[in-house]
Amino acid sequence: MDGLLALSQAFQQMATGEMLFHVMWATLLGIFVGSLPGLTATMGVALLTTLTYTLDRDAAITVLICMYVGAIYGGSRSAILLNIPGTPASAATALDGYPLAQSGRAGYAMALATAGSALGTMVGILLLVLLAPPLAEAALNFGSFEFFWLAVFGIVISGQLTGGISPLKGYIAGLIGLMVAMIGSEGIHAHIRFNFDMPELNGGIGLIPAMVGAFGFAEVLTVMWRAKANVVNTTGERDRILPKLVDLWRYKFTIARSGVIGTLVGIIPGVGEDIGAWASYAAARRTSKERAQFGKGSYEGLTAAETGNSAVVPGALIPALTLAVPGSAPAAVLIAALFIHGVRPGPMIMIEQPEFIYSVAVMLIFATIAIAVFGLFLTRVFILVLKVPREILMPLVFTLCVIGPYALTQRTFEIWVMVVFGLLGFVLRQMNYPMAPLVLGIILGALLDKSLRRGLTLSDGDLTPFFTRPISAVFVAVIVASIALGVPAVRNAISRTLDRLLKREAERSTDG
Amino acid sequence: MTLDSATADRWTSIVLFAVGLAMLVGGYTMDRLEIRQIHPASIPGLVPMILGLAMMLCAALLFLSARSTHMASKAQLADATGSSTATQTGKDAEPTAPRATSNRDLFFAASYSVVYALALVGSLPFAQATAIYIAVFYTHFTWQNASNPTDHLKRIAFGICFGIIGAYAIASLFQYGFLVRLP
Repeated sequence: MDGLLALSQAFQQMATGEMLFHVMWATLLGIFVGSLPGLTATMGVALLTTLTYTLDRDAAITVLICMYVGAIYGGSRSAILLNIPGTPASAATALDGYPLAQSGRAGYAMALATAGSALGTMVGILLLVLLAPPLAEAALNFGSFEFFWLAVFGIVISGQLTGGISPLKGYIAGLIGLMVAMIGSEGIHAHIRFNFDMPELNGGIGLIPAMVGAFGFAEVLTVMWRAKANVVNTTGERDRILPKLVDLWRYKFTIARSGVIGTLVGIIPGVGEDIGAWASYAAARRTSKERAQFGKGSYEGLTAAETGNSAVVPGALIPALTLAVPGSAPAAVLIAALFIHGVRPGPMIMIEQPEFIYSVAVMLIFATIAIAVFGLFLTRVFILVLKVPREILMPLVFTLCVIGPYALTQRTFEIWVMVVFGLLGFVLRQMNYPMAPLVLGIILGALLDKSLRRGLTLSDGDLTPFFTRPISAVFVAVIVASIALGVPAVRNAISRTLDRLLKREAERSTDG
Repeated sequence: MTLDSATADRWTSIVLFAVGLAMLVGGYTMDRLEIRQIHPASIPGLVPMILGLAMMLCAALLFLSARSTHMASKAQLADATGSSTATQTGKDAEPTAPRATSNRDLFFAASYSVVYALALVGSLPFAQATAIYIAVFYTHFTWQNASNPTDHLKRIAFGICFGIIGAYAIASLFQYGFLVRLP
């Protein structure tokens, strides 16, 4: 009841003309960014952070959240029309969206994607409002020991789930991020580490310039490297741009399940929208009556993928707000933006700014309404957006990559950081190193470092409390299990044992 | 050697091992602040040492598993391509086929963008440097599409106009909108 009251108060406070104006332009820009292959949600949020630092707190965070929601949704446009996901989050959307477009139902595929995204975000918002306050309260019991394991857990899980066939590359990306975070003044004794006699490095590497490089410059290079894509030209006579309610009702369980899966994936640190979409898609395929249609233009598959990736957005904000641990790469940039605008995410948020979580929920509701309205009524316009030539767009994007990070501190050193991370990010991506653990490493490095040394000081150098305190023990068990499951020999041994047990059980039941 | 190959992974593992070793040595030789009488468990080099060791371990595992990982990855890709082509018909039957790439375009985009960011910006006023960057970028990448001299001239003219308008629009936004002192 208190939550509902706080939500309605936040709604009254946020529903101003100025705020709605920000919602409209930022969501529209987000959809534009997301729908263009090469422009990702992380890049959009990072670049927009540099443009919003003169706005007040609520307006700036609204703009960034609208950009995030809009970009994740916008990725479905190019996935459906070009068979190229506008953002990695829409890779699963392309599996069914593109075959639908080829069969002349592009408009209806986009309408279903819009409805799925809006409903998925709504499920996520509901869970955000329900889960974030108790999670923040539970996190108040965390000490240095627990925070150390939380940081390790974030890197390990993120590396495990985003590393693809080799979690090792995910772990290495996470370690690179943690190493980057070791540069500059450390948080306990203010000792300056690894500055290589460059005073500019005393304050460490800024997250925003690094992200703009790794997600902006690297994307510009990727787009210019690859051949141009062609927009599918098959708008059929039977095509429609509004979703049928009967279809949405038929997939009500798929929508609810995908929304919950997406939100839960979002809560896991550094995993992100693409895993949310794939997990929802896989769950829908496993339980669907029209399983054979998946991959050939299934409405249910498309709805599951879009609901799943959009639900990750509110999910990723749950740990970002309550633990200062991002659930996805754009959420990591959002944490940096929150600090810039005077919000201190973490367990203290429900004590220092208890209304803020509800304000974020209202911002997400506004963004969801905006994507539903723009998505359903501007379908034809977004097809035109996909036709903007890369030769026009990319130099403008790179110019923003240069001036954006510079504008934050007015130091040309930030441009150097952006360029180095851009080139490094491009090479690492071509070698199949995921970027999410790297981002998470940069943001969690200070927490891991301070928590370990503070914990050791409190226990006078004794490691036992790191393993015996209840929450720490749970974290250790999950971390060890995740790493063990990443080792093929262990995985094979477990699956052999399970097979043997199942076989024995089947034999016993036939004997009985 | 492509970037996504077992050989590339082995070379990378050597570089990462060296980075890990440097981090370990850097952490070990870091000032332990004895003069401030800090707790020995809170020395600033502790976490860098641990990270260095972890990186060396991961690099060694990467070196050893490079071949098997790439074979598994190829098998998975073959499976995925096989199943996707099996479900599609017609001329667009390969949705997962990799798109063509141009190393020449990549080299130009990378080197020219680096020159703009690190040399042009700072030595020329921001708006002028940006106008040159945008105009040359556009003209270079559309040059091969032009079929006759008139077409070339049109592209150059458009590139110059686009460069000037784009550069001054961005510069004005930051200078007057966000009150940034441009480089």
